[in-house]
Amino acid sequence: MTTPNDLERGYRRLLAWYPRAFRSENEQEILTVLLEGAAEGQTRPRLAESADLVRAGLWKRFGPDLPTSARTVLTACRLMYLGALLEVAGLVTFVLTTGRLKAGFVRAYPDYTPHLWHVMTALIVAKEIAIPVAFAVWLILAWGNSRGRDWARVAFIALFALDTLGVVAAVGQREASFDPASLALSVTVWLIALTSMVLIFSPRSGPYYRPEPVRA
Amino acid sequence: MQEATFLILTALAAGSQHGYGIITDVTEISGGRVRLRAGTLYTALDRLRADELIAVDREEIVDNRLRRYYRLTPDGEKVLAAEAARLHANATAAIARLNPSGG
Repeated sequence: MTTPNDLERGYRRLLAWYPRAFRSENEQEILTVLLEGAAEGQTRPRLAESADLVRAGLWKRFGPDLPTSARTVLTACRLMYLGALLEVAGLVTFVLTTGRLKAGFVRAYPDYTPHLWHVMTALIVAKEIAIPVAFAVWLILAWGNSRGRDWARVAFIALFALDTLGVVAAVGQREASFDPASLALSVTVWLIALTSMVLIFSPRSGPYYRPEPVRA
Repeated sequence: MQEATFLILTALAAGSQHGYGIITDVTEISGGRVRLRAGTLYTALDRLRADELIAVDREEIVDNRLRRYYRLTPDGEKVLAAEAARLHANATAAIARLNPSGG
């Protein structure tokens, strides 16, 4: 048999989707609103309100935590999410063009040795691993910047530096090691990283960044 | 400005209001068309507080339950007035073009 207490417990379970800090400040208040809005005799959260609470809780955890006025930072974060998506596109393009890449290698080094072939194959595998890692890094930095975390802004410098090295290497070895489509994507991702850097380090962005909160 | 945001600010224009009061006010103002759910409401209230358009007015305990009242800030009043004027101007222009003879 279900009771009104089951309803409250159900709502509390759904509110667990919110971050702990938000819950400690707002849970009692939201619970009041939910219970006031419940129908007479209702003993379980409805499907629509459950979905709404889960969505809102996830948004609070992973969505931006900056005021609307932080336009430069928010734009940079959107660009970072785009950068992450383009990394996925880059991986697909890279995998699809591996055959052409190997043919280009053979053309560029007709007298290649088995050792050189192994090195080239290892580089391909390394890139196939590096791209998903880069995708995750873009996402983490987009999330960190969208919450005004200083570490994310500083870490983005490292990502930009690595991206720059990658593009310089790609342009320098384009005939032997890079398919034109992969090269175009790499340059696009680099331009996105450059624009994001400019935006997060612009004077307008400064006030929205804060150091990591110290745990008591 | 999103419609839900506009309606929440409108609900607070007449005075401070608690969460459930805002939900019922928004339903009434929109003629029953917009029914805010708690998750959506608190996402909006959180953002409006960050933007300093609303602030907590006071807290009350009713039947052992916490009620937090929100009010518009001066910035919130300005933003709501500007948005209302914009919507009014758009609606006036639309009505004028639909009835060019004024009839």
